[in-house]
Amino acid sequence: MITLAVCLAALADPVFDVKILRELDFTLQNSPTPQKYLIETMPGGVALLDYNNDGLLDIFLVNGGRLTSPMPSPENFDRHDPRYWNRLYRQNKDGSFTDVTQQAGLANAGDGNYGMGVAVGDYDNDGFPDLYVTSYGKNILYHNNGDGTFTDVTAKAGVAGGGWSVSAGFFDYDNDGKLDLFVTRYMEWDTRHSKDCGGNYHTYCPPEEFPATTNILYHNNGDGTFTDVSQPSGIAARKGRALGVAFADYDGDGYTDVFVANDGMQQYLFHNKRNGTFTEVGMEAGAALSEEGRRLSGMGVVFQDYDNDGRPDIIVTELPREIYGVYHNDGNGTFSYRSLETGLGALTSGSSGWGVGLEDFDNDGWKDLFVAQGHVLDNVESIDPSLHYLELPLLAMNHNGRFEHVDSGSTTPVAGRGAAFGDLNNDGWQDVVMTYLGGHPQVFLNHGGKSHWLTISLRGTRSNRDGFGAKVQVNGQTRFATSAGSYLSASDKRLHFGLGTAEKATVEISWPSGIHQKLNDVSADQFLEVRESEKP
Amino acid sequence: MISAILLLWLAGQSLSSEAAQHLQAGIAAEKDRQPAVAIEEFRKVTELEPNLAEGFVQLGQAYMQNRDYGSAITPLKHALKIDPDLVPAHQLLGYALLTQGFAAEAIPHLQRVQDKTALGIAQIQTGQFPDAVANLQAALAAHPNDPDVLYYLGRASGLLSKQSIDTLLAAYPESARSHQAMGENYFVLRRMQDAEQEYHQALQLRPDIPEVHLELGEVYAGAFQWAKAEEEFRAETRMQPGNAEAFYRLGAALLEQGKAHEARAELVRADKLLPDMPETLYSLGKAASLDGDAAAAEKAWLKLLAIEKATPLAAQAHFGLAGLYRTQGKTADAQREMQEFQRLQQGSVPPQQTAKPDAAH
Repeated sequence: MITLAVCLAALADPVFDVKILRELDFTLQNSPTPQKYLIETMPGGVALLDYNNDGLLDIFLVNGGRLTSPMPSPENFDRHDPRYWNRLYRQNKDGSFTDVTQQAGLANAGDGNYGMGVAVGDYDNDGFPDLYVTSYGKNILYHNNGDGTFTDVTAKAGVAGGGWSVSAGFFDYDNDGKLDLFVTRYMEWDTRHSKDCGGNYHTYCPPEEFPATTNILYHNNGDGTFTDVSQPSGIAARKGRALGVAFADYDGDGYTDVFVANDGMQQYLFHNKRNGTFTEVGMEAGAALSEEGRRLSGMGVVFQDYDNDGRPDIIVTELPREIYGVYHNDGNGTFSYRSLETGLGALTSGSSGWGVGLEDFDNDGWKDLFVAQGHVLDNVESIDPSLHYLELPLLAMNHNGRFEHVDSGSTTPVAGRGAAFGDLNNDGWQDVVMTYLGGHPQVFLNHGGKSHWLTISLRGTRSNRDGFGAKVQVNGQTRFATSAGSYLSASDKRLHFGLGTAEKATVEISWPSGIHQKLNDVSADQFLEVRESEKP
Repeated sequence: MISAILLLWLAGQSLSSEAAQHLQAGIAAEKDRQPAVAIEEFRKVTELEPNLAEGFVQLGQAYMQNRDYGSAITPLKHALKIDPDLVPAHQLLGYALLTQGFAAEAIPHLQRVQDKTALGIAQIQTGQFPDAVANLQAALAAHPNDPDVLYYLGRASGLLSKQSIDTLLAAYPESARSHQAMGENYFVLRRMQDAEQEYHQALQLRPDIPEVHLELGEVYAGAFQWAKAEEEFRAETRMQPGNAEAFYRLGAALLEQGKAHEARAELVRADKLLPDMPETLYSLGKAASLDGDAAAAEKAWLKLLAIEKATPLAAQAHFGLAGLYRTQGKTADAQREMQEFQRLQQGSVPPQQTAKPDAAH
């Protein structure tokens, strides 16, 4: 009886200590206007990366820009003004953060660019993570010089994109050991052709009001340049309204596939055909629509294994009355829709989800769900009082594949957007950084507990140095190495596993190169770097 | 029509030749769609034959054809002074008065000619909603699916309902039924907290009042509070064990919470109480599928498809069947169902958007 009471009390405690850190003096400037420019409600991304390889996660935040009503032509978002800079915060040894934006060379992201998201990956395999910042306008590739500074190499690399880019991610689609780059684009829209909807309510327009557009796939040439292979790869054969992207090898053929979360239409699953081309198979694979065959407002996405069956599943965040989509990987190249079975019907049918992650927050061996939430429309309550513009994030713990809501510790509803996941204080417990419109980033520091854990860093040799695309299995759990997923954001590339009561672990790694490594009797509660074997 | 009758009637009357000429000219002008000329000709008839009621009717009708309903009233009234039983005059005067907003004055004339549609419309305007409903129902029986009659019947019924509720609220403001009615009003206005409060007050006053738990459950369902919705729908099923909708709603609330097995049991009961309801069959298939009973899911959806062929629910059933067959490895069956789904979805879910080669970026 006493034990039960103690357990219940423990369950009632919030999982995180939610902080707005004084040092992170960043405000996400989305600059809402009466014009209801759609970009206003869409930023901004966050990345957790160790840019200086000191073993501590640093935080990069993407800002929007200044909008005026109406916008002049040519558009100018005043990104030279420090209020509208993206920001890089270096973590110090005492856990505090220092703004190093200017000294790192990341201050001005271009007056013509309204910032959206960020991708992180070591595209030149020099051991230092590089940054790719997406925008409405032009995107920027920042090469990490390894000395605490970055250089804008966009022009040389040929990855500026154009139009309205949203989420992006690095992955190695052809297993050549060099990270390629996938960039989602939302729609054909610009401020001159903006409109507002909703009659007297004056709301942001639904995506169907604007033409769909193509995503971009850049192939890494290995010499600091990329080639746009959107057309020959088949990626540009499908127009969409993409907001989120995530990578995993869903059919176990050794090649990384791509899931694209589209807004207001079918979702896209690009199957990697192992010859440099992709085929979009979402509909026939059962991962395109809701259980009732309805279009979804896909926004954020995570492509990881939630039920510990070794296969990557897909969770897509959406608008209210749609229920966040859970596509369970059935193992035969198809998916089944399991939102209701997993408990997400009751948890998410009234919410709007953006950044999303599957992380084992309580180290019990099951990946839990965190979603940044908040409606698209800033006046949604006046249209439908049952919906809310400002929401608390969703934290749902995974109990054998079924999610149950718990207190995250957050008490202030916000218009949540980006979310990145990682172990900020290296205590073995996963933390979260979430962005929200018009405010400072929220840091969710995990209170921790007594369960064991193991965090693995991959060091690719034949494969890409980050090991992205590797399948890592630990004590019956599986993670697919990536920093991509969520919405506009990039997470800690280290792979975290909760071990529960286990003090030892067996680690199996299937590298993109085809090399398979197995490590037995690995001690729990450590950060383990695994270097890819030189030989198969 | 009136002109033709008039000509026949005039054949037996003594009329000055000058008046007869103007009468003929007026009728010809009407045929030629020259209402201003017709009005002038008929006015001359009334001047030459001031006791000829039909001349005033013709003048009134010409005004009405010229959409000058106000000017039509005086000659038509004059016609009825001369001949109070002149049916065309009653009909035209009734219309003219109604179009000018004089509904109460129009009613006796419309009653005289038993024009149910116009009478019903006039009675809506004078607040005689029960009579309006009765007359418009009779009009609808005579003219099925007439859009105007359907509209006014709907409006009269709504106003009658509102009148009853207003009377209830005025006479018994603290009654359970008043709180229920207020709850329904707030629900329509999407003021869910107010609706919830009113329904609770209704239940405090009369815990055994039917439908209120059902309506309160709908409030919770609309606010995504599925556990509370389940509780209320379950209460309704206990109170009304023969209410198929209550079992259907309960099943749907359970389904939203992922309680597939329980949902299925309630949906089976709903189907037994009111068999072959497509919505119930669809949800039953969904619950059975979630419950792992593919055979039962297939049976429910096929039954639905035997009832509905080309509705959104039929499309959903095809989509559900495609998923079932895909899971079972029946690829050809899955593809066939997907094709049916996509055929029914035409325009609803667009086909994959294929980009033109030159439109990449």
